[in-house]
Amino acid sequence: MRTFALRMAWRETRAAWRHFTYFFICIALGVAALVGVGLFAANMDRAIQREARSLMAADVELRTTRPLTAEAEAVLRGFGGRGIARMHLSELVAMAAVRTGTQLVELKAVEPGYPFYGKLRAEPEQALATLFAGNNVLAEETLLIRLDLNVGDTLKIGRAEFRIAGLLKKEPDRAAGAFSFGPRVLMSQQGLAATQLIQPGSRVTHRHLLKLPEAVSPRAVQAELSATFPDKTVRVSTYQEAQPMLRRFLRQLTMYLGLVGLIALMVGGIGVASSVRAFLNEKLETIAVLKAVGAESRTILLVYLTQTLLLGLLGSLAGAALGAGLQIFLPPLMKTWLPIELKFRFALLPFVRGVAMGLLTTILFALWPLLEVRHVRPNLIFRRDVTEEPSGSAGRSAWIASGLLALALAGLALWQAGSWRAAGLFIGALIAALGLLQGAAWMVARLARRLPRWKPLAWRQGLANLYRPGSQVKTILVSVGVGVMVILAIHLVERNILWEIGENIPTDAPSFFFIDIQPDQQDAFARLLAERGHAEARLTPLVRSRLWALNGQPIGRENYEEREHGWYFTREYVLTFLKDLPKDNVVTKGDWWNAVEPSRAPRVSVEEEAARRLGLDIGSTVEFDIQGAKVSGKVVSIRKVEWGNMSTNFYFIFEPGALDGAPMTYVATARIDPKEEVPLQRTVIAAFPNVSAISIRDVLDSVARVVDRISLVIRFMAGLSILAGAIVLAGALAATRFRRIYEAMILKAVGATRRAIAQTFAVEYALLGAAAGVIGTGLAVALAWGVGHWILDVKWLFQPEALAWGVGGTIIGTILVGLLSTYRILGQKPLPVLRRE
Amino acid sequence: MLLCIIEGVIAIRNLSMRLTSGGREVSILDDIALDVPAKQFVAIVGPSGSGKSTLLGLIAGMDTPTSGTISLEGQEITNLSEDELARLRRRKIGYVFQSFHLIPTLTAQENVAVPLELAGDSEAESKANALLWAVGLGSRRHHYPAQLSGGEQQRVSVARAFANNPAILLADEPTGNLDTATGKQVIDLLIRLNRDHGSTLVLVTHDPALAAHAERIVCLRDGRIISDELQQRAPGALP
Repeated sequence: MRTFALRMAWRETRAAWRHFTYFFICIALGVAALVGVGLFAANMDRAIQREARSLMAADVELRTTRPLTAEAEAVLRGFGGRGIARMHLSELVAMAAVRTGTQLVELKAVEPGYPFYGKLRAEPEQALATLFAGNNVLAEETLLIRLDLNVGDTLKIGRAEFRIAGLLKKEPDRAAGAFSFGPRVLMSQQGLAATQLIQPGSRVTHRHLLKLPEAVSPRAVQAELSATFPDKTVRVSTYQEAQPMLRRFLRQLTMYLGLVGLIALMVGGIGVASSVRAFLNEKLETIAVLKAVGAESRTILLVYLTQTLLLGLLGSLAGAALGAGLQIFLPPLMKTWLPIELKFRFALLPFVRGVAMGLLTTILFALWPLLEVRHVRPNLIFRRDVTEEPSGSAGRSAWIASGLLALALAGLALWQAGSWRAAGLFIGALIAALGLLQGAAWMVARLARRLPRWKPLAWRQGLANLYRPGSQVKTILVSVGVGVMVILAIHLVERNILWEIGENIPTDAPSFFFIDIQPDQQDAFARLLAERGHAEARLTPLVRSRLWALNGQPIGRENYEEREHGWYFTREYVLTFLKDLPKDNVVTKGDWWNAVEPSRAPRVSVEEEAARRLGLDIGSTVEFDIQGAKVSGKVVSIRKVEWGNMSTNFYFIFEPGALDGAPMTYVATARIDPKEEVPLQRTVIAAFPNVSAISIRDVLDSVARVVDRISLVIRFMAGLSILAGAIVLAGALAATRFRRIYEAMILKAVGATRRAIAQTFAVEYALLGAAAGVIGTGLAVALAWGVGHWILDVKWLFQPEALAWGVGGTIIGTILVGLLSTYRILGQKPLPVLRRE
Repeated sequence: MLLCIIEGVIAIRNLSMRLTSGGREVSILDDIALDVPAKQFVAIVGPSGSGKSTLLGLIAGMDTPTSGTISLEGQEITNLSEDELARLRRRKIGYVFQSFHLIPTLTAQENVAVPLELAGDSEAESKANALLWAVGLGSRRHHYPAQLSGGEQQRVSVARAFANNPAILLADEPTGNLDTATGKQVIDLLIRLNRDHGSTLVLVTHDPALAAHAERIVCLRDGRIISDELQQRAPGALP
């Protein structure tokens, strides 16, 4: 029996390639998406592992925003005796000025020997040698372009002048990813000292890099240092933990890409189900004959199951090969923000997983139509009417089998995603969407029956095609709808984010931030702005601190580890003191202080979300660590803050006088006319070389670029599910090919031109597209809203244009794919078709 | 010139049809010549496989012959495009198929209205309605083909064939899928309507009794005309 099944399966496949082309492509596309992402992630991991030391430029790094204390210095000095080399790096934001303009830059000061690992590249190469001799700097090319400079020109940073010795081409440990305030300028520590930029309260990141001898374990040194600095403000990491942001970002990105790829596979699965069903419908006579000559249902089932599995395996293997091919496209899409070179290498695991998922999907979706074969009766041969589909339920075993298959598939998907929560949510949402679409498809078929049968033949015939038995309405609506949902939801979310950060800014929002104004410069700075017509500019004091204790309990690891929002416990808090409640702040609980009253503990006002995450309420006490000094306050009010207003907003505001004596700087915000930006910046830099001017617009542009790049990659993957949807659509239409040819030829026989026939097709496709578009768009809105509301926490933006495109684009796309896959019918001659019937 | 004068509504010259099937060339029709004058009722008879249905289909322009020409009312049709042929059928030809070939998604009335609608007739609905009453199916006009019996379906098909009042009516074994009694009803209907409309009728059948109704009987065998005889009986007379 086995060999019969195999032989018969081969015969049947040989004779029906047309059906199986769609089947094959459907599975291959989905598997390609999954394997593509899997291989990308594996290569990425390997690259990061391989280059981990250069990504940190050291074996162990000690990172802090404060200068080291004398005792800490002593500990590190002691390391020297053990053969451990060290160097000090400082990173900060500063202004670079030339006579014609200014530019915010990311400054990095290094010591000779930098980097311990990896390679620093400059152009010309000799420029590297001059870095520690005289006031030379290396700068990224964008700085030279923006300020119209050439190598060899000088620029002013802080209180010192520097010569641009060369272009900075590659810096191994530059924080990768995402966002930057401006081009990098690399200088020596002596150069930085000459700028006099580092003042108390300045925002500087100090990195102390250690290079260990072979015999010393980085982990041991890390443990030793962590014990020496129990202070949370010092982070000690080994090279294995280099670039945590990059790692987390890539992990999340590949997870999302994998999930989007999974959609392509599910859409492909729908295509498999419809191909198998269409194929079996054409095989009803064969099946009836096989039964009539004595084949058991089991044997027949085995024939077609074997065939399906063979095709599923072939499709999956082809898809896996295609997925390897995707490696040509994915890395270039991300090249601009990946600090590492990706080398393609084959990895077995993603490959095997992808093929397994392809096979499981094939069986899961083919199972139901296959099981229906058992209900075919031999007497079918005597009936000419073969459009009738076999009826009868697939039975309990089918439910159990598909349940198990679905579970296995979900398990693989979870494995692929690497996060139970996100993947679980995603799979739940996908199943819900498929269910909703299925329901909607049923509704559409019912609704079509009730729509008025208007006169034009094209309308009547097109409409009738939607609800007749064997119409592929469900298949098409579900597969196209899912594709529309995904790609539109991604677009909506992206637009929402961009709107939230870019366009949703009040018109009176400041356009410039001036940071690092020293207390003794405060009055002069306010005067300067007032002279230039910015009397409304506000100077706000900033005090940088960390949370030390809540209600007298010091913050311990248990507070933030294993907690989703542990960030609230460990982050740096910028504190301020204000007399009046800031604009756009609303007190939701307690009272704002109206007069200074003597009290034992200074009063503090907390932002609502922070209060909730930290468990603070009216009467709670919070204690902050401000460069070693502890300041505590009593919570007297809880505020709601309009974070989107682009002003200086604070989690914690103290009452005036509470922070006296703490190291502080001032920030000024002003609304500046674009024409005035350049002259004002120049005046400010001339008078206050240590002050940096940050243009909100530049910052937002930079964020928008990042969002754009990420969404480009995700859209690329989502494009695969749209493609899968189009294939399923074409396949589903191909399944109705015989019926279409037949009716088209009747129409032709009674005098219809090709155009008239094409119109009836177009009406049908347009109706299908409209239904899929409306449903897909509706689901996309729900999905985007959910993501925005629960995950990203952004406000909802109604985007009628995008929605109109969602529906209109689907209609046009469906008509195009539909006509492309059926236009050949139009040229047929009626006689051969009608005589064969 | 003489040829032009005696040329009928249907004029067929040197018509051949060969098909390639399984790598082998099969001759379906071989050098057929046939003229049918206006309003004549011709029966084409012959055993199955003699090529009679193919001949009828070629007259309707539903396939392209390998060689030879066909003229309908003086218009050469073998070099027309697909769409020109469709418009020609719409204006001049009514066709009745052996297996009815009604569109399953349309009601009886809508099926009859299709050729009228294609011709842009604004009264398609009422005309279709009238035709259905004429074939005795007025009360079932809103039924779908699947809800009608074979005989009823064929009557709908006859009504459709007459919809545009065609000059030429072609019927391909119209009773082939029907039992004797039902078949007779349909053939009576066909002959009566043909007489009322004054159209030329070409009927393909393998049933001698049916052919006996015709004024002229053309007999085909292996793709050639082997006899062509005028009957004694008055045109269209019922036995």
